[in-house]
Amino acid sequence: MKRILAFSVLAATIVASCASTGTTSGSSAPSGSGSATGQHPKIGLVTDVGGLNDKSFNSLADKGRQQAQAQLDVDTSVTESKQQADYVPNLTKYAQDKYDLVIGVGFLMQNAIWKVATQFPNVKFAIIDGAPNDDAGNVKNLPNVANLFFKEQEAGYVVGVIAATMAKNKVGAATHNTVCSMGGLPIPPVDRYIAGYQDAVKTVSPTTKILNGYSQDFVDQQKGIEVGKSHIAQGCDILFQVAGGSGLGYIQAAKTAGVYAIGVDADQAAVAPGTVITSALKKVDVAVFQTVRALRLGTFKAGDNSFNATNDGIGFGTLDKVVPDDAKAAATQALADIKSGKITPKDTVQVKP
Amino acid sequence: MTWEMLLGASVAAATLRLAAPIALAALGGVVTERSGVTNIALEASMLVGAFFGIVAADRSHNIWIALGVAILAGVLIALLHAYASITLRSDQIVSGMALNILALGLTTYLDYQMYGTTGTPPDLAGLPDVQLGFLSGVPYVGDAIGSQNSMVWVMALLVIGLQLFLFRTVAGLRLRAVGEHPRAAETVGIDVRRIRYAAVLASGALAALGGAYLSLGVAHSFTDGMTGGRGFIGLAAMIFGRWTPIGALAASLIFGYGNALSTSLQGASIGDTKVPVQLLGTLPYVLTILAVAGFVGRSRPPAADGVPYETEGHA
Amino acid sequence: MTQLQGTTTTGPGAERPAPSVRQLTFQWAGGPAIPVLSVAIALVLGAVFVLLSGNDPVKGYVALFQGAFGTPYDITETIVAAIPLVLTGLAVAVAFRTGLFNIGAQGQLLVGALAAGWAGSQWATLPGFILMPIVIVFGVAGGAFYGGIVGLLKAVRGVNEVITTIMLNYTIVFVMHWLLQAGPMTAQNAFGTPASTPIGVGARLPVIIPNELVLFSRLHAGIILAALAVIAFWFLLWRTPLGYQLRAVGLGARAAAQAGIDPARHMILVMAIAGGFAGLGGMIEVSGVFGRVYDGFSSSYGFDAIAVALLGKNSPLGIVFAALLFGAFVHGGAYMQSHAGISSNLVAIIQAFVLFVIAAESLVRSLTRRRGRARKPVEAIA
Repeated sequence: MKRILAFSVLAATIVASCASTGTTSGSSAPSGSGSATGQHPKIGLVTDVGGLNDKSFNSLADKGRQQAQAQLDVDTSVTESKQQADYVPNLTKYAQDKYDLVIGVGFLMQNAIWKVATQFPNVKFAIIDGAPNDDAGNVKNLPNVANLFFKEQEAGYVVGVIAATMAKNKVGAATHNTVCSMGGLPIPPVDRYIAGYQDAVKTVSPTTKILNGYSQDFVDQQKGIEVGKSHIAQGCDILFQVAGGSGLGYIQAAKTAGVYAIGVDADQAAVAPGTVITSALKKVDVAVFQTVRALRLGTFKAGDNSFNATNDGIGFGTLDKVVPDDAKAAATQALADIKSGKITPKDTVQVKP
Repeated sequence: MTWEMLLGASVAAATLRLAAPIALAALGGVVTERSGVTNIALEASMLVGAFFGIVAADRSHNIWIALGVAILAGVLIALLHAYASITLRSDQIVSGMALNILALGLTTYLDYQMYGTTGTPPDLAGLPDVQLGFLSGVPYVGDAIGSQNSMVWVMALLVIGLQLFLFRTVAGLRLRAVGEHPRAAETVGIDVRRIRYAAVLASGALAALGGAYLSLGVAHSFTDGMTGGRGFIGLAAMIFGRWTPIGALAASLIFGYGNALSTSLQGASIGDTKVPVQLLGTLPYVLTILAVAGFVGRSRPPAADGVPYETEGHA
Repeated sequence: MTQLQGTTTTGPGAERPAPSVRQLTFQWAGGPAIPVLSVAIALVLGAVFVLLSGNDPVKGYVALFQGAFGTPYDITETIVAAIPLVLTGLAVAVAFRTGLFNIGAQGQLLVGALAAGWAGSQWATLPGFILMPIVIVFGVAGGAFYGGIVGLLKAVRGVNEVITTIMLNYTIVFVMHWLLQAGPMTAQNAFGTPASTPIGVGARLPVIIPNELVLFSRLHAGIILAALAVIAFWFLLWRTPLGYQLRAVGLGARAAAQAGIDPARHMILVMAIAGGFAGLGGMIEVSGVFGRVYDGFSSSYGFDAIAVALLGKNSPLGIVFAALLFGAFVHGGAYMQSHAGISSNLVAIIQAFVLFVIAAESLVRSLTRRRGRARKPVEAIA
């Protein structure tokens, strides 16, 4: 009884809200009615289900959005998707409210971006880690969608060079000539990192033993710690995490054992100073910022936009002081070689768990 | 697949580490349900315990204060549930679920506000490990229990203590009476409401200890939603363990073992085929079902469990 | 939770006879002050939180309502969000009505979705009038199977359904990871997305509100299936002998024995029916919204369903309205964030308050000094 009447109360408010016109103005985020570029454009960011604090691409994308808001004279807004069915309405609402650029984060949104971008040809869209996919699952690039791709394997490669060099030369606590990695789940965006990492190690130091594992989770730290302990027990000294929040547990295991770890996506040196020797950077924030900037300058490019070594889209993060100069030099050289095309890191994992 | 992967000392050690938070939540469940109140908000108490414990460790640099704050947070959540369930006679399931949503939203929000994208700081005061040096020579046992976190030992003591309390003391008898026949208990002068309140608050404290173990003892940091459903698994363990502390521990160990296997068996093959990594994740759950179906069978909850009690004068 | 057979703990079964639709509606229409007060209290509490976080609660609530119901598009989206909750709510409710606690709607929905997704892609070339019924059957059967296991284990080994449903929920999540990432259902051209092969056009539920009426609407024919499910639920429980028996079991084991029911058969049957509802919900999401099975597409339909069922007092119309309330929070909540800048976590907190207060009947009732009791005596079964 109360339930249906609770709803009737809401129903009464429907009438009230419908009476006032649908599109609202005066929100705390974007203001003004500029819909053409150059006039205080409105930028909307729709995150994936992991939330803004996922220690991975959602938080990086948001960082890019905040930078854009601060430096590019745009109004921005963010919507966290709570479930996959929300992607389409979240993107649609921004488009309906006449935003200039709507950015979707993550490969799960590929179909959603296609649907909404097709319905709103005058709104620009961007998608991180994907391209518009039609209902049959085929890639269908659209003239108003920028596909922001990253070559994670390149980032994995350069940190793998550092790991291999340190393992080979038994630097500091890395005495067992064994390196390892842990992914959240064996899906391509994760495995590409690991593939590049393993490729580098096999190239630079073929005698180094390589281990690999998965925590089956992107949040649960305890699972990451367990995999870490297991790898350390098998002699691993340099642990590369590719598992978001769960990966922080992997780093923690390294810290407890007094060995080394490598962060991912963002620079994670601050997570465990003295343990995290570097991070494999995927500059999602840069990509978001650049895309907004391109919008402002009128150079928005639809279709594939690759972020890799050539345009500083990936890289290696702050080096801990334990990293010797030769490792740093090797990584810098590897980065240059990837840029020039001399090295093409593999993108499929060779050493499975 | 080797024996080491299945039964090695490191697997045993991992089992204890993984079982501890679940056992603590399950103990909380046992206490409250034995008194007749269903508390599915144990997950909420765990989560706030984990979060506020970290915050307190960050601010006070003192593990005792941090632990105290964690327990307090868990108790406050439990207090809300107790108020709703006992005084207001709310629907206990909905009230518990509401608190779970509240805890997740609140901790996630505050985590973002306070620790943004940098995360919680490193080197927080933490629950120390207990190193049993004298066991280092002992095969198997030395590796299995020689280096467990202090909270694991606390959990073991609590299991024994609660088992004795519930089944060997008058106070425990009263609590169980309240859960089985509240009206009869009241006629002999037992204050049903007060005992139920105490039980629910205690369950909040126990669950919070589990959360504090995760954040202050294991991860030394906080990530959103880090309890990951352990509060619910604890409830299952409680039922599996027939609403006794020792049973809850046994059930938690089985579950923890399955979890440990899902790490230790990565890379194992059966014959020529490698076990897919994703399917290893099902191990703790399938193992639990098999164990319950195979060995435990029927389990009966306290008779008045989950039924809001109306004291004389309100009937 | 520990639902004793026959001892209903949280409101199902024990209260009302509810024989006809008319009487069902009539029963809901008592005491308008209470729900208004409930929601009002919750919103005030929520407003305090919003204020403390430095945002404007009025703007926030306006955004919430406008986001949920402001335009016809919003209304359709609220309904789209509510549809799976109706089905999973029914899955939980039908079990509650007969004395079982079905926390497994989450897993049952996923199995139904996988089965439907598989069938829909396996025979993708078949025309709609053949493929759609097949996909529906697969969805229902998948869920029914997963629910039936729970009933079977309880009937044969006495295993408490709370344990099995929680465990099975997690199990299917990992099986799904395998199926969609590296297993037999992984799509060929997934581009890194763990998903199944898209289903055939014939298996897609068409959008029934055309673009001309509501621009961009996604409101699909699943609403019809959901409506049919609600009717089926009502019909089953209140108009069939089986339903009578099931409700009898929900009211007391002794009464059930008098009515001559085999408890084992009842458990399996009820859990299978419940699973069937949830599986249908999974099928609807695959056919109406996604077009394929994405790994992890159902974050909480099964858990929200418990609240939906209980808020809806395990009654057909109540479940529908509770589901709409949740749908409103999903869709309106997103707008609260994008438009009023209020963190989605605060929205969750507000939702928690609403749930909490609505659950606290007696507080609100005592505040309004309502006369007469909501709880009716247990009906005698002749």
